[in-house]
Amino acid sequence: MASFDQNAEKNLQLSHARPDYVLEVKDLSLSYGDEDIVKHVNLQIQPGEVLCIAGESGCGKSTLLKAIHGMDAVNVTGGCVCFEGKNLKGLNKRELRSLMGTGIGLIPQNPQGSFNPLRTFEVQMKETMASHGLPFDPDEMVQLMESMGLPQGKKLLKSRPFELSGGMNQRVAIVFSLLLKPSVLLCDEITSALDVMSGQNVIDEIESYASHSNAAIIMVTHHLGIADRIADTVAVMNHGEIVEYGSKDQVLHDPADSYTRMLLEKIPRIRREAAS
Amino acid sequence: MSEIYVKEAAFDSAPILEAKDLVRTYRAKDRVIKAIDHVSVSLMPGRILGIVGESGSGKSTLIRHIACLEQPDAGRLFFRGEEYTGKTAAYAGRHMQMIFQDSQSSFDPKMRFDKSLREARKGQNDPELLKRLLEEVRLDESFLSRFPRSLSGGQCQRMSIVRAVYSGAEVLLCDEATSALDVASQALVIELLQELKETHGISMIFVSHDLGVVSQLCDEIMVMKNGRCVERGSSADVINRPKDEYTRQLLDAVMEVGTETGLHGIKDEPAILHEVTERDLS
Amino acid sequence: MKTVVSVKLIKRRARIKAVIIGSLCILLILAAVLSDFLMPHDPNATSALLIRKPPSAMYPFGTDSFGRCVFSRVLAGAKTTIFATTFLVAVTFAIGTILGIISGYYGGITDSVIMRTTELFLAFPQMVVAIAVAGILGGGLSAALIALGVTAWTGYAKLARSHTLSIRNENYIAAARLAGLSGWQIILRHILPNILFPLITNALTQIGTTMIGISGLSFLGLGVIPPQAEWGSMISESRAYIQLAPWSVLYPAAATVLTIMLFNYLGDAVMELGAAERRS
Repeated sequence: MASFDQNAEKNLQLSHARPDYVLEVKDLSLSYGDEDIVKHVNLQIQPGEVLCIAGESGCGKSTLLKAIHGMDAVNVTGGCVCFEGKNLKGLNKRELRSLMGTGIGLIPQNPQGSFNPLRTFEVQMKETMASHGLPFDPDEMVQLMESMGLPQGKKLLKSRPFELSGGMNQRVAIVFSLLLKPSVLLCDEITSALDVMSGQNVIDEIESYASHSNAAIIMVTHHLGIADRIADTVAVMNHGEIVEYGSKDQVLHDPADSYTRMLLEKIPRIRREAAS
Repeated sequence: MSEIYVKEAAFDSAPILEAKDLVRTYRAKDRVIKAIDHVSVSLMPGRILGIVGESGSGKSTLIRHIACLEQPDAGRLFFRGEEYTGKTAAYAGRHMQMIFQDSQSSFDPKMRFDKSLREARKGQNDPELLKRLLEEVRLDESFLSRFPRSLSGGQCQRMSIVRAVYSGAEVLLCDEATSALDVASQALVIELLQELKETHGISMIFVSHDLGVVSQLCDEIMVMKNGRCVERGSSADVINRPKDEYTRQLLDAVMEVGTETGLHGIKDEPAILHEVTERDLS
Repeated sequence: MKTVVSVKLIKRRARIKAVIIGSLCILLILAAVLSDFLMPHDPNATSALLIRKPPSAMYPFGTDSFGRCVFSRVLAGAKTTIFATTFLVAVTFAIGTILGIISGYYGGITDSVIMRTTELFLAFPQMVVAIAVAGILGGGLSAALIALGVTAWTGYAKLARSHTLSIRNENYIAAARLAGLSGWQIILRHILPNILFPLITNALTQIGTTMIGISGLSFLGLGVIPPQAEWGSMISESRAYIQLAPWSVLYPAAATVLTIMLFNYLGDAVMELGAAERRS
């Protein structure tokens, strides 16, 4: 994928200019209504790094992701999010909008809400690209769709979101986000609507995007298997707090925190007989 | 003591539940979808049969047909050798109950639990049995006066297990019963279902896409793809010696936390294990 | 980042609004109920001396061309209009909702029969059907109610059906079927309580339209029989003298407009309240 490589160059230049973190979350606290959802979270992500935020439903991981994506509906009660050294809070609405998608991309958990159900994917993608001043290449999109196990990409381009299943929409949403080539890609439980096999395809594709384009990935998931597969670093969240944060090997294979241990122990593993 | 409580886990040789050659086709705009394509199921008393497959494989449709919530185009259904094909869900409900994926939606949101449970037992209350069942699933009795929305998914799922057993069901049909739960609740529900099988002799069909859960819980496994059964056998055989290519793919696609350095490493001596692997690499 | 208005505040606002509008509606209904005691004069008493007198302390809304007190007639008309309307909405709502739920829950042939029938009724403009039916039945309030009721139930039926369809595949309905409940038990215990709220909200907003319907028929001379007071017929009777005695037209018209507005606001307020409750 040539275009990914170009992007990688761009990103590399950026990372030369700022060799440290592409995204930093500093002491971030969020609330919804009167309830504290996220408490004093600190994260640092380098270009090309895959960070998995693992935790159970309701632990605040999705809210955290929304705040990083600059969405409203959450109250920031403390701390900040910095993208390439810039505090997102200091940006005005227009700057923020131009940043979203190409700078920080989000693949939502429920993609149906982010598409207009009655317009074809091609039209919607063209508009999205145009609004970010990027060229639209249908072939690239078709290619990407096919690599994610969506056959007949040409036909799919002409179809509308309501005609497809949730899992297919989910994969098209991932294609949309990848085509914008964000330097930080946020993924919110992207495999929960997918089958085992298409889930695997999607994870592979995101991993290859990260390695080709040197983009940082933040993947929120309750599935520790996914974390083990693609993460460089893992943060485990519980009740709005990060209880453990470190390299994948440390967190998943030598956990220090009791909650992490509980998560790892309670996962139903496939009962395989010991290979002899 | 109530009848269902002291049911012996009788391992008869005759299956408690049988479905023979079920067929169900749906007609979409221009094509015919075979949701269930000549599938037979046989469940032995006191056993748990797992049905695995991807979404759209027909596994959920299959158990909805077994519960008579939908009617097949062809095929026959038997409970303890007695045919019940074409009967109403109310008839099937005397012997079997379903546990759904979305536990909260399986209770009427406008109805308190005690009323829902009484309804499931057709008005014949048995407070003692109910109390014991609630204890078994580690739920507080005070939950009975609450509404479904005020409980977590895991608590609701345990309540729906109580409802199923309380109604006198001998067979539980679980449709992705643990898929929507968080890790701890999932583990608890799996444990409870195991206990139910052992203490009450309840047989189950457990439909899930999660091979981990199925291999933990089930005695036998059936693999479905596009409405057909591609492989069936004992859990150990299907997991360790899959005969079908599709089963193999399914098993390979599962993402697990590294098995070789997994739990054993944590429990025993993690530090040493880590050193060894690092040394090996260098 | 936009600050979020707390759910509690939204709920409180919705509640205050519903209470204010609700109490205004209750006030209006009370006025209609107690109209016999509130009216200063006999609404049907004519007087040759008092023809088309402008509003005064004695006759706050003036008098009409028969010398009748417009204020008393507006009050008497409130009784006729509001009771006829609520009665009609209640009956058509009940019939339509039951048919709609049956249609949605059972599906199949039942659904086809009921739905084709509603479509048959909807094929003609409502007012045209009402005028035709009222014409056949002759005048009178009950004829007008039947004429409007013939088509009014269809809307409720369609709405009830679509709400039923949206919940009939819920797991708790399947659970109720497995628990051995009959179709009727499921409808009464599980379906109706869960869809009643939006249906009632809709019915409240229909009160205004129905009121226009009744007043409209009366205006055309197909509703109440004179001299019974009704807002539509009052407007109709006095419209020839609108330049000489505008009060005899404007007061019943204002009463109609205000009442319809009030009931529409009530529907909106209840809907908002419901939405706010659901958010928490």
